[in-house]
Amino acid sequence: MEPFHYLLVLVACLAVTAPLEWVIGARVYRRPRRLALTLVIAMTPFVIWDLVGIARGHWDFSPRYPLGLDLGGVMPLEELLFFVVIPICALLTHQAVLRLGARLRPHGRLADEAQRLGGSPATGSRRGEGARRA
Amino acid sequence: MPEYTLLTALAVVLVVTLDLVVIRTRLLATLGFWLTLTIMWVFQIPVDGWLTRLDAAIVRYDERHFSGIRVFFDSPIEDFGFGFAMVLATLMVWTVLSGRSTRAEQRRPRPAARGEAEAGMGAQGGA
Repeated sequence: MEPFHYLLVLVACLAVTAPLEWVIGARVYRRPRRLALTLVIAMTPFVIWDLVGIARGHWDFSPRYPLGLDLGGVMPLEELLFFVVIPICALLTHQAVLRLGARLRPHGRLADEAQRLGGSPATGSRRGEGARRA
Repeated sequence: MPEYTLLTALAVVLVVTLDLVVIRTRLLATLGFWLTLTIMWVFQIPVDGWLTRLDAAIVRYDERHFSGIRVFFDSPIEDFGFGFAMVLATLMVWTVLSGRSTRAEQRRPRPAARGEAEAGMGAQGGA
């Protein structure tokens, strides 16, 4: 299993957070365009930072754990996937926190944030808001 | 100051400035952000540790380029600043793309994107 150690932890992150989308109802995977755009815009600087870190010798990858495709000879595939998986986990967590908070206390602070931050509040007030806009 | 330490400090200052002053998503003023960050940091301990623990390091950090302070499973403490910046940047961009902000009431809503229209039709799973 040693070659897959890094990939394993990324898959585990996706597995652990998956219920946030399909049980709690965070709408992250179901907004694929917004998700893709978010990843590209938000993660580009961090991927560049990572490349700088590798180039400057801040960190490197142990030969003991062979990684996937070596992208451009500088970054293993797993390292790039890290910048896809972790932000997805963050978005799912945020949306789930807002939804659960709204469900727990429909007039609480999280319910308010859910409405304002483009989440899908469990209170159903989104629909009313849409009607107001229209 | 070691380079990774310096870059982490710069990144933290930059995302905080963007959130509070430039883009004004003001996620830092929300409870949801801090709960999310706390959860992300707690999970970062084992995940980062899996990558950095010195007896089986997948990613190896050069001691000369960070503070030398390792926490939990040998993770450089800077990693948690990196994590903070990543989480805030991600939620910030998502929030901007959703056409809303914490001050959404004061802004004109953008035309609904495809995902929004879908949500508007009540196609939410488990709701």
